[in-house]
Amino acid sequence: MARKAKRDLTIEQKLARGPIDLPFLALVMLLTALGLIVLLSASFPSAMYNLSPKVTNTGGDPLYYFNRQFGFALMGVVAMFIISKIDYQQFRWMSIFVLAGSVVLMLLVFVPGIGKTGGGAARWIKLGPVRFQPSEIAKVGIILYFAARLSKRGIQLGPPKDKKWNRRTLLGRTCERLDNIGFLELVPYGIALVVVLVVIYLQGHMSAMILVIVAAASVLFAAGISLGWFAAAGAVVAPLLWFIITQTDYMKARIDIWLDPFVDPRGNGYQPIQGRIAIGSGGLLGVGLGNSRQKYLFLPEEHNDYIFSIWCEEMGMVGAVVLMALFALLIIRGFWLALHARDRFGTLLIVGIMSLMAFQVFFNIGVVTGFLPPTGISLPFFSYGGTALMITLGEMGMVLSVSRQITAPKAE
Amino acid sequence: MQEPKRPPRRSGQGRSNRSLFRRTIVLMLALGIGLFIPLVGQLYKLQIVEHAKWEEQAAIQQTKSIAVNANRGVIYDREGRIMAMSATVYKLILSPLDLVNSVKEDFKGKEDKLDEDTYKQALYDRRKLIVDWLVDTFGYDEDWLWKQMEKTSNAWIELEKEMEEEDAEKVRAFTTKNRITGLLYPTPSSKRYYPFSSVGSHVLGYLSQNENSGDRKVGAQGIEAVYEDALSGDLGRVVTSKNGAGMEMISGYEMYFDAEDGCDLTLTLDERIQAMLEQTLEEGIETYDVQNGAFGLVINPKTGAVLAMASSPDFDPNHYSTILSEDLQRELEALAAEKGKDSEEYGKAWKEAWDKQMRNRAIGDAYEPGSVFKPITVAMALEEGAVSLNDHFFCGGSLQQNGWPKPISCHKKAGHQDQDLTHVVMNSCNVGLMKIAEKLGAETMWKYFDDFGLFDKTGIDLNGELPQGIFWPGGEEYFTGPYGSSSVATSSFGQTFGISPIQMITAFASVINGGHLLQPYLVQSITDGDGNTVYYHETTEVRQVISEDTSDKVRNILEQVVSTKEGSGHNASQSGYRIGGKTGTSENIAIKSIDPNNDDVMCSFMGFAPADDPQVLALLVYDTPQRSAPRSNHTASGTYISGGNIAAPMAGQLIGSILDYMGIERQYSGDELAGPDTPMPKVTGQELTVAKGNLQKAGFECRTVGTGSIVQGQVPAAGASIPSGSTVVLYLGEDAPGEQVAVPSLAGLTPTQSKNKLEELGLFMRASGVVDFNDPDVVQASQSIDEGTMVALGTVVEVRFVSSIDYGDHQ
Repeated sequence: MARKAKRDLTIEQKLARGPIDLPFLALVMLLTALGLIVLLSASFPSAMYNLSPKVTNTGGDPLYYFNRQFGFALMGVVAMFIISKIDYQQFRWMSIFVLAGSVVLMLLVFVPGIGKTGGGAARWIKLGPVRFQPSEIAKVGIILYFAARLSKRGIQLGPPKDKKWNRRTLLGRTCERLDNIGFLELVPYGIALVVVLVVIYLQGHMSAMILVIVAAASVLFAAGISLGWFAAAGAVVAPLLWFIITQTDYMKARIDIWLDPFVDPRGNGYQPIQGRIAIGSGGLLGVGLGNSRQKYLFLPEEHNDYIFSIWCEEMGMVGAVVLMALFALLIIRGFWLALHARDRFGTLLIVGIMSLMAFQVFFNIGVVTGFLPPTGISLPFFSYGGTALMITLGEMGMVLSVSRQITAPKAE
Repeated sequence: MQEPKRPPRRSGQGRSNRSLFRRTIVLMLALGIGLFIPLVGQLYKLQIVEHAKWEEQAAIQQTKSIAVNANRGVIYDREGRIMAMSATVYKLILSPLDLVNSVKEDFKGKEDKLDEDTYKQALYDRRKLIVDWLVDTFGYDEDWLWKQMEKTSNAWIELEKEMEEEDAEKVRAFTTKNRITGLLYPTPSSKRYYPFSSVGSHVLGYLSQNENSGDRKVGAQGIEAVYEDALSGDLGRVVTSKNGAGMEMISGYEMYFDAEDGCDLTLTLDERIQAMLEQTLEEGIETYDVQNGAFGLVINPKTGAVLAMASSPDFDPNHYSTILSEDLQRELEALAAEKGKDSEEYGKAWKEAWDKQMRNRAIGDAYEPGSVFKPITVAMALEEGAVSLNDHFFCGGSLQQNGWPKPISCHKKAGHQDQDLTHVVMNSCNVGLMKIAEKLGAETMWKYFDDFGLFDKTGIDLNGELPQGIFWPGGEEYFTGPYGSSSVATSSFGQTFGISPIQMITAFASVINGGHLLQPYLVQSITDGDGNTVYYHETTEVRQVISEDTSDKVRNILEQVVSTKEGSGHNASQSGYRIGGKTGTSENIAIKSIDPNNDDVMCSFMGFAPADDPQVLALLVYDTPQRSAPRSNHTASGTYISGGNIAAPMAGQLIGSILDYMGIERQYSGDELAGPDTPMPKVTGQELTVAKGNLQKAGFECRTVGTGSIVQGQVPAAGASIPSGSTVVLYLGEDAPGEQVAVPSLAGLTPTQSKNKLEELGLFMRASGVVDFNDPDVVQASQSIDEGTMVALGTVVEVRFVSSIDYGDHQ
């Protein structure tokens, strides 16, 4: 595509060529770089010992995990820039296809030959050399779809309300009433959400479900959906959760382990205990970058979900707070961009993406530190996983794309 | 809001945008700040509040700490003889875990092509290599070894605990050759050796593991236990990092904490004196068929230093878990033959026998001192001025006491009649002592009991000292009250209460050393690894109990107990030495309290020498010499059962040997016919008159055989050492005959008769024991060469004499 001269551009196109938000970009790059460093430190012992070659054969190369992650990070950064160049208004029409596509991909998980089983649950698909979790895309799909649809809320509601429903039929009257209290408006979101959740549930991917729900809820909340609906949803979900937690053996065991991992120090409690030993032994200043001992085959998933505890061990409370501060800044800057976005779609898109980011960080660190019961949520930018990193960077690209269209305040 | 200039398209849109703005800000604050607050709180809890706990957990699992033995200190006796020392031995360690890992290592990089069978075969081959070698070389049980090999999660199996260097070298050669050094290896450890085996075993103690010491052996008894901290030094440590699979880390860190060697101890104990004491105990047990063992103590009465301490039966600290005493072994074997070794009875009997041999009765048991206690009562009375040396006491054979149904009798039923204070002690007269006690009063006696330390531990540096003696229920109130008079009376001669032997000897020492109650002790000095003396024991005086003057008087009385023929301790006399002492015959109060009709007695003697300047003080106690028949007062060999007839001769012999060993010269008074050994001068070839003159000068008598004026032969040969005063034989006109003569029996002969009988045959006598040459009551007790043995002319036969008088001192 030959680049058009500036004068030939429409206003829309001009806007899409605006400058990206440098503070946000800087935070993203900083976190990506830091993530690679921590991953190198955390992963080299298990790569070197290569104790489970049947799962991941590192060949004893200590840099095995790092090299791969580094490659994905480079590709991810490139992808981020490409996405940031796209006029995000294009995402509106793309959203439905992304969502539908992700559902299809998720269903492919169950197709033998493409789907990969890992850790007891079928959640991976393998396309050529690329291996990824389609649920990652589904999260973006939901956010895109919700943001695109909700941004039109109150603008394009079609024909006037009083003409829409036939009051002579019961159905018509019921529908009108539901419409008046704002329920019908929610039906499409509900359908989309339920479809995605059911598919993820079939994969047995609890943590992905949680993230999809909180990201969707954030977008709905920001879009101005009445708080009553949230309260109503909470009233339905809360007893359900209470039932699951207290009445199913599986969840009850998890909760018990969470409350006191020492009831089963060699079994289910092993990982939480090892994680806490890593964090706790770090103290205020840590044992020094690269000096973690817990990564030497004590802590499972040390380069994955539990990578934060290695960071805590090496850099102490100071390092941990700095890392969390970087995330906090990224999130706040993201929301700042959302507040200044050119239109509602931009705002809601960023709200969805940054909420997803915030909840991922919260859940990961919460689980690792024992604040929350264990679920398998990885830490963005840090946990090992190339496609996840690429998708995260792609999301950041979307935020940057929105940031391009923010008009600079007029000089005084 | 984002475009303030742009007019809102619809009012609804504006409201909606305001809502969007507000809600986005809410989300920004909630997600950007709110969510992180609990996380920081949780981190603060883990990393700051609970940091120490987690760090400790981390250290426990991340490090492997290997103890490095510190060399345990040496224990020397007072002459520098090594009583206990440690030497390096090796533990043989097998690591089935590393074995499996080493096989895996061989297959590294070939995992994809890993054939299960090939792997299993390789593992089997490596295990078999080691098992076969161990079975061939050291004779291990093959099945047992295979079982150990299966413990694949274990990296530390001790196949051998105390392997000598030689064997360790074999292991090293084997493992190096086969490149399996990490799988089977000797690791240094140490073993304690006690070169003198059982000598001083109760004092030295032994090493064993206990529940707190883990793998290490620590002192379990005696000096080894009391001075554990000083002897053991500080364990060194090598701390290495390990990974989660238990393997040592390749790039791990190592920290060394140097071991600090233990201190050496120098005891007051003298191995030779200790051996003499133990031998004396055994000899007495054998001679008098003593049933319940014996115990004894030898101390320096001036310092409280314990020179020897023994309790029979004893044990060998090198093999403390075996029963040493042959008698006990025989009993156990008989039981084993009857009931089997697995039977409960056998286990119980074995435990009892073991407890018996481990027990140090010299400090741990309460015993009734009996008449040995009398000098203490006399010392109190003299000190208080209640009696004087010139006071006379009449003994009619018994004395009535208030609150006692029948008169308390003296051992001499006819009574000792009139006697002065010295004779009261010499006769060991109970009635005399009761009269002294009356003069003293119960309160004064109680105060002195306290002063003499009978109510306190002596504070000797050994574990297991008797915490409290056995005294009358009701204590002081009873003793000094209206019902206590019979106890006051009996306590004056050392009966109806029990104290530990170490208390008795300490109190007795204060009576003869000028009144100083001293703290007995065993460790003279402690020297650290660099040879610096870190501790030296100075004589510790607890208090002065009596005056020097009183002490002199009592010592003088006690010397007469031994030196005079009628003194009950006369059998302890040794020619050339001034010995003082007191006999005792007491009941076994522990048994008596259960069985009032029991007539077991303990025969004891407390003796010291030289009497004018005591260097040694010895206590011997023989528990229950066998009576020839029930109620008989004699042993099977006809010895009267009393301290004076059983313990005194043994003690005299012991004290004599100790003084000889210590280099204290015997001082012979002129009238004693047995003088010191003197070399025989060469008189052969001399004129008879010249020869006689030379012999007289040397202190010999002579008789001649044959006629002539020139001495042609002499018995003994020139240079031979024989007691002066002996009658040598000079041959005139003929050579000394070369044939041998048979040693005669001297049984029942007095020293003079024995000497004459021997000298008639051309043999010589060296007398020991009670050597009163012209006393018909003194008779041969034993001779060094048995009757009928053929010996060369001029041979010296050692003959021991005892007084055959029955020395009673019992009730």
